[in-house]
Amino acid sequence: MTRPTARDALRTRLGDSRGPRYWRALEEIIEQPAWRSRLHEAFPQLARLEPALDRRDFLKLIGASLALAGLGACSRPPQEQIVPWVRRPDQLPPALPRFYASTLACAGDVAGVLVETHQGRPTKIEGNPAHPMSLGATTPAMQAAVLELWDPDRSQGPVHDGVAASWDAFRAEAGRLAARFARDGHGLHVLGGRLDSPTLAAQRDAWLARFPGAQWHAYEAIDDDNALAGARLAFGTPLRTRHRVDRARVILALEADFLGSQPGSLRHARDFIAGRDPASEEFNRLYVVEASPTLTGARADHRWALDSAHIGMVALELGDLLGLPGVHAPQASGMSARRLRALARDLADQRGTSLVLAGRTQPPWVHALAHLLNEALGNVGHTVDYYEPAEPWVSSADGLRELTRAMAAGTVDTLLLLDGNPLYATPVDAQFARLLARVPHRIHLGLYRDETALACQWHLPRSHALEGWSDLRAADGTASPVQPVIAPLYDSRSTHELLAMFLGDTQSPRERVQATWHADDDAWRASLQSGVIPHSAPPAQHPRVDDAFLGHIPTPADQPGLELLFAPDPTVWDGRYANNGWLQELPKPLTALTWSNVALVSPELALAHDLKNGDALEMRIDGRHTQAPVWVMPGQAARSVTVWLGYGRRHAGRVGGQLGFDAYALRTAAAPWRVDGLRVNRTDAHYALATTQRHHAMEGRAPVRATTLDAFRTDPAIAQGHAQDPPSLYPDRLHGDYAWGMSVDLNACIGCGACTIACQAENNIPVVGAAEVERGREMHWIRVDRYYEGDVRAPRIHHQPVPCMHCEHAPCEVVCPVGATVHDAEGLNVQVYNRCVGTRFCSNNCPYKVRRFNFLQYSDLHTETLKAQRNPDVTVRNRGVMEKCTYCIQRIETAHIAADKAGRRIADGEVLTACQAVCPTQAIVFGDQQDPATAVSRQKASPRHYTLLEELNTRPRTTYLASIRNPHPALEDDA
Amino acid sequence: MTQIFHPRFGLVVKLTLLALLALASAAVLAWRGLTNEAHRVGEAVEQPVPFSHKHHVGDDGIDCRYCHDTVETSSFAGIPPISTCMTCHSQLYTDQAVLQPVVESWQRGVALHWNRVHQLPDFVYFNHSIHVAKGVGCESCHGRVDRMPLTLRTQSLSMEWCLDCHRAPQKYLRPRTQVFTMGWKAKDQEKLGLALVERYHIDTRRLTDCSVCHR
Repeated sequence: MTRPTARDALRTRLGDSRGPRYWRALEEIIEQPAWRSRLHEAFPQLARLEPALDRRDFLKLIGASLALAGLGACSRPPQEQIVPWVRRPDQLPPALPRFYASTLACAGDVAGVLVETHQGRPTKIEGNPAHPMSLGATTPAMQAAVLELWDPDRSQGPVHDGVAASWDAFRAEAGRLAARFARDGHGLHVLGGRLDSPTLAAQRDAWLARFPGAQWHAYEAIDDDNALAGARLAFGTPLRTRHRVDRARVILALEADFLGSQPGSLRHARDFIAGRDPASEEFNRLYVVEASPTLTGARADHRWALDSAHIGMVALELGDLLGLPGVHAPQASGMSARRLRALARDLADQRGTSLVLAGRTQPPWVHALAHLLNEALGNVGHTVDYYEPAEPWVSSADGLRELTRAMAAGTVDTLLLLDGNPLYATPVDAQFARLLARVPHRIHLGLYRDETALACQWHLPRSHALEGWSDLRAADGTASPVQPVIAPLYDSRSTHELLAMFLGDTQSPRERVQATWHADDDAWRASLQSGVIPHSAPPAQHPRVDDAFLGHIPTPADQPGLELLFAPDPTVWDGRYANNGWLQELPKPLTALTWSNVALVSPELALAHDLKNGDALEMRIDGRHTQAPVWVMPGQAARSVTVWLGYGRRHAGRVGGQLGFDAYALRTAAAPWRVDGLRVNRTDAHYALATTQRHHAMEGRAPVRATTLDAFRTDPAIAQGHAQDPPSLYPDRLHGDYAWGMSVDLNACIGCGACTIACQAENNIPVVGAAEVERGREMHWIRVDRYYEGDVRAPRIHHQPVPCMHCEHAPCEVVCPVGATVHDAEGLNVQVYNRCVGTRFCSNNCPYKVRRFNFLQYSDLHTETLKAQRNPDVTVRNRGVMEKCTYCIQRIETAHIAADKAGRRIADGEVLTACQAVCPTQAIVFGDQQDPATAVSRQKASPRHYTLLEELNTRPRTTYLASIRNPHPALEDDA
Repeated sequence: MTQIFHPRFGLVVKLTLLALLALASAAVLAWRGLTNEAHRVGEAVEQPVPFSHKHHVGDDGIDCRYCHDTVETSSFAGIPPISTCMTCHSQLYTDQAVLQPVVESWQRGVALHWNRVHQLPDFVYFNHSIHVAKGVGCESCHGRVDRMPLTLRTQSLSMEWCLDCHRAPQKYLRPRTQVFTMGWKAKDQEKLGLALVERYHIDTRRLTDCSVCHR
């Protein structure tokens, strides 16, 4: 492929919107004959099979392997041992899992979870249905918390000046420091993270009282300061906002990723999808204005790309149209009047049931304006209310500024760093590394010996969230307990324990948390069991907005240059999950990238600078510069370049080091989210990016079906194909007592990828690494395909989770020479690992490309902690074996055994597959499709029901429901 | 034309053939020896304490479930904690030398390591509770443990052996009340077995599905 050709094609494409209706990657739409001919785009694993050996060496090797093959089996099985308890702690049968309610704070969000333990080993996280911010779902990062717990790279003991030390030695040091600062705490500084824990807030107060003059700073690289500062502008106090998305009929998101990276996303996603049932009268409509496509934008009925700087102008123009006094835009946003009028009309028509949200990247005044719009639209008390946060808000930017100022002035004598990695995750202009070296006493508490730990005299290992007592407050203010599900694996202490060491507090960690809630033992036990502290959410307030802020709205700089936007990485967040293989390998939503971050550029910018995916881009801004791989993002605003934080870690561990580029090198404390004046240069270097986007192509056979609400109401069967199954040469099988089937509602799927990672945790799916992903050898049993539709600059985005289809007439079964993939009586297409010899005929014959082959020994069989992480109910597969989705057969069999013992049928909903359980929007439904009363049968009876590639007549058990959009009637051509 | 091979070569050829035969049989024997189970059927397994089922079950008449207490609820029948042993042995035979490891384990709190007698490959997910619930007697798989001074395996535990029952469970089923009885025999096993398959709702269509035992 030559550059000018690609460039010309893109130019043609930008000028003309014909071409395939659904597409996955820009390369595809450009229709390069060279791309087509490259075998490895569709089947990358075959491309590397080209022999590097000559014939003689090949024959020698094959002879030797044949001779050695038999010997490999020549050993007795090892003698196993059984080691019973001396005294069994309780009467629970040892082989049954136990679930403990707890709470996790991951990637800026807090939700209640149930931790599954097998013989005391936490193996899997499920959402807690009783927790209002989980409702049974979890985010991908929460699923991965269990791998973080068992990570062999975790810090395992205190280190002093690079030498292993003991907690006793540190206790003596803490005693000395406490005595020194007891009368005058000046010079004692603490840097912590977000204060989500009421117990930690109480300890902070005790700390400041105990050491008068001491200072406590809070810093998070990804904060919600703008939202709170906006509330302070509007109401005078930093109130937190609670959104009731389920009550909203028209929603406007101003760069607010409320389905993805914002706190409370699980609840918001459930509520949002609940308002989009095509069978009901009510169907909400979502407008999103944003610079870079997010999960929320992907689900929007109207997604309008606009540079981040001008999004506030849209809100002002809208306020103007709605007749709000004193609201007028000092500069045109560039949004067409037709769109604005339709939007304003829609919002005004739904007074009390509309909702305006602003995102964390928008400045405080846009948040204040959103509050003003909600007030003017009569939404307060209906779709939105406010509450006073129980723990005081400390601005992250202020916290860091005060600390660095004190460090520069030399007034910091002792700095206690509580669980953060500020050396890495602070803006480059804070010069944290240089200033930290000037602090005489540096103490770091953390899960890993990371960059910051290496720069401190003392490094203390922190206990994992699953190893200690605490409490956390979720986005709606509900507090819930955190309880240990395992004793600390290493010689570590929790943050609470470390602070108590200084404070001379001798309470046990459990008593301390219980004391925060003044709960008696019965009430406390009840909270631990339900996982929620009752009546802990602060009461709703309905304050009036003071519109004085309208007088101080800054006009965006009128320059045509590029703007640089910062965003948390969709999987590794601010960098803290860099060493988590599951999150690294989870294809990032929309881009399907793994193991790296990128700079997202618009197709227009790519055209102007002749860029294609993977090109190294030199980025310069105010003397700061870095080099980043480019990703051409369809739907990106023309002059916006987005970089993801969280990569470029230097000391992350064996998994996370040396990946991607460090975007903090471009960030400043004053402009953490958006900055103008970016200059870019294409370099000749090229990065190999591991993306799953083009793997497993389905050759444009319209795998997703979508239509509009109006079209669906006129003709409900619009998404359906053949009504009757065509005849088949395959024999029909008799059904057993159950016929397991799955239905995936594309109208509910938001593409978050939680299913992929939940499946990975449940089914012992190995991590393969960037190089293997590049060859298309990722092992995920359920993938989330992403399709674009229409114009490159403003495409519609569709998600489609694809697990094994469990075809009744399965093409994989007839080609297996050893009968390793066969049907069982209940309709499951089962893969028998102990029969499989690895011919890979089945995966070649699978039209859905859902089979995964262990080309190498991907499962780590030697690391002790990783062994303990695995689900004991699922085989750990070795090299040379094919595997794929089993419909979580271990869960089906567990339910079967329980029901068969009791002599009853398995109830509907008794078997939840891992992907189904984790789904925030309940897009996946599983059950017995033979029984017309089950949820899955009801789904399959929907007029939106269709079968993937039904023309192949494979009769899959996994089927889909078409997606429905609800564009504004006046803007139907402009979605 | 002269002979290519000397007549004495005949002996060499015969000897070579014999040697080859000997080598082949040695290889087969070595292969058998190396690849069979960790211990053979009918071979007593060495344990830290020479525990006698014969004494506890046969002589004392202790029910299986007194020690293997999770057999009805869990996939694992359960090896008793030392505390179960001490319910009797804190009083009985406390000074016996053979019991010393048990007493020591109890006093020091250090677990005993028993050698597994019935060992299945890791890809087989056997569940005791469902077998017991459907009327498979302990004896059917474990033999007459009431006559075993040292515990040993009486069945091959091969897949063929599992399938023998899974294909025709009526050959082995007994009423639930007799599951823990040793030496029980039906008058007409075939007739009783078929009635029990019916009564216990055993879905014979899926008993030989791979997914029943392998996940």
